[in-house]
Amino acid sequence: MAGWILLGIVVIMFLWMVVLYNGLVSLRNQVQNAWKQIDVQLKRRHDLIPNLVSTVKGAMEFEQDTLEKVISARAKAVSATSLQDKAVSENMLTQALGKLFAVMENYPQLKSNENIMQLQEELTSTENRIGFARQFYNDLVASYRTKQQVFPNNFFVNLFGGFNPEAYFEAEQTDRAVPMADLSLRTR
Amino acid sequence: MPFTFIEIEEQKTRRIWLFFFVLLLLYFAVLAVLTVALAQTVFIPYYALLNPRFVLLLIVTSLTAASIHFFFSTLGMVDFIRDNLGALKPDPADGIHKQLLNILQEIQVVTGNRRKIECRVIPTLALNALAAVDLRGNATIAITEGLLSRATRAQLEAVMAHEAYHILSGDCLETTVAASLFGLPSSAFEKFSRSMAPSARLSPLFLLAWGLLKLSQIFNMFISREREFRADAGAVHMTRNPLALAEVLQLLSRSWRGTGFIGNGLEMLCIVNPVATVLDETEGWWADLMSTHPPIQKRIDILLKMAHARLSEQLVKAAPADKTADAAQPSEAAFHALDPQHQWQGPYTLTELCALPWISPLTWINDGGPAIERAWKMPQIDPVIFTKRLAEQELPVSRFACPSCRQPLIEMTYERTQIEQCHFCGGALVENDRIPRILARTDGPPSDRIKSLSRAVMQESQLRGIGRQMEGTGGKAIPLRNCPKCSHPMMRTFYTLAYPVQIDRCSSCGVTWFDPDELEMLQCMIANKMAAEPVASSHNADSPVKVSSS
Repeated sequence: MAGWILLGIVVIMFLWMVVLYNGLVSLRNQVQNAWKQIDVQLKRRHDLIPNLVSTVKGAMEFEQDTLEKVISARAKAVSATSLQDKAVSENMLTQALGKLFAVMENYPQLKSNENIMQLQEELTSTENRIGFARQFYNDLVASYRTKQQVFPNNFFVNLFGGFNPEAYFEAEQTDRAVPMADLSLRTR
Repeated sequence: MPFTFIEIEEQKTRRIWLFFFVLLLLYFAVLAVLTVALAQTVFIPYYALLNPRFVLLLIVTSLTAASIHFFFSTLGMVDFIRDNLGALKPDPADGIHKQLLNILQEIQVVTGNRRKIECRVIPTLALNALAAVDLRGNATIAITEGLLSRATRAQLEAVMAHEAYHILSGDCLETTVAASLFGLPSSAFEKFSRSMAPSARLSPLFLLAWGLLKLSQIFNMFISREREFRADAGAVHMTRNPLALAEVLQLLSRSWRGTGFIGNGLEMLCIVNPVATVLDETEGWWADLMSTHPPIQKRIDILLKMAHARLSEQLVKAAPADKTADAAQPSEAAFHALDPQHQWQGPYTLTELCALPWISPLTWINDGGPAIERAWKMPQIDPVIFTKRLAEQELPVSRFACPSCRQPLIEMTYERTQIEQCHFCGGALVENDRIPRILARTDGPPSDRIKSLSRAVMQESQLRGIGRQMEGTGGKAIPLRNCPKCSHPMMRTFYTLAYPVQIDRCSSCGVTWFDPDELEMLQCMIANKMAAEPVASSHNADSPVKVSSS
């Protein structure tokens, strides 16, 4: 009788470990996927910028400086390889774009151009998507970490090996001090 | 301990499951009572009910019947919305529709693409949104053209997130399950009761079944209200922008929500109840029991509380970076203001705040404390900015205040008669006996915008026969604003059903409050109507009289 009970406990333990392991693997993959999604959205932004710049170039002759900054920030962001570089250059790009949109407010003829309005809407949307992708990634990391750290999972995570606590995506210090660049369209 | 969106989500989820369980129990109780009643009439022996096999058979049969009913009622939910409400796919070539598609994509990103969601546009000027799921797994968010064109981007985002949360959390499915589970017994019950003699209707079993069905309805509505709170919290979880949702709820509460247009049992799926009833906006045990949606003001209050938590968090985060700057400046530079693009700006000193061109009494302000309030509510801001602006322009100030901006109204002449207008929002207070004069005196031609707006409103009301449909549903007046004169609640109603412009009326003082555009639209409608249809002149004579007598 006692043997049966012991066997039952062992089987249940085993099943529980299988469930835990599979859950961790699936979460790990989700976290990695979420990280890649941020890249997808950043790529989308890089693709949209040349279009925008070439469309507004004619109308904004006196703002070459602002345009130059956007172009160079984009070039830097595209060529960045290390994670640190990437974060810094993408932040610079966000700020350069914010500046550009602020300046664009002074050109009423741009506001009446449907093409530009659409491009601006696309960029606004991309900007939001980047933010949301980061938020989703952080939410996933939080639940992944929780799953690793709660009792009694923490004993088994070391046993399994291969599950490292992923890092949160943190906004740059500059990003926090300066209010978020405003890319939203003006209220209709 | 702040009551954050995550806690609200968890608390409401627990409650919803508990009540859903009770609802299921009730369902079986109703079925059992009905069967016993049936057993008496068709002479199935009583003791059969004590036989476990019979009970099992009963449960299996009822579940099968309910699932067949459920299957057919939800199979074509999305088609139903398309056919009944005329909801169409957004047109990617249209700028505003493109924006909607983009917002949908953003919502997909923030939910990690867990579910494929489509969106539809309902071609009506009403302001509302709803979500539906059918058994094929099609999830749809439908949003009205009116809301699409009047809400800002951030507000639309909040609405879409609210609806997406309904879909992702399975609320839509639960609603349809509950509706179809109880649809069958209640219709069976009705048939049954019609075929019975009046004396038999007083039998205890019959009364019990009736009572249980009513109880289940009450539970259902309770769950529906809890769901709305949860979806609000969920939307904030996604967009992290409680103020946008609070604003859009305020906008929805003031506007026509589609009574007579959205109906057919879709009320529970909407973001605000399209059948705007006084019950929905009042609190108390009776209103709590009988309404499908929680009071909008309560929802807004909860959202504002969330916003406090969020902003104070942000301020704490930002604090270490500019501690030195804080030390240099005295504490007066502590005002943050939400600009029209929905970004927090600041910190400003009081003088800087005064100079902002976009500041109005309705701007959200944080004075460094835990609270976020409209500017007019802040005792240190109101006199310095708004009263000063009015004084500088030397406008003739009246004794009464604007019901939304709470600033003194300006006495002015419009169509050569006296009205009182708000300098900030443009709304107007008109004595009821002056309305016919204004309507008769339409001087200049109205602007193109007003013309097209009023044409659209008229066409919609004629096409859909909304006026007729609304007459059937009884009085729709909701008290939403207080009268500037007597500060009793004014009633938000249509001017008349023939001229469906929404106005606020005070029945005791005999005044009417027009929001911006409303008075011009009414003038335009009546003038156009006079020109186009001379036969209908009796109508024109009729409607102003109706007002002055009320």
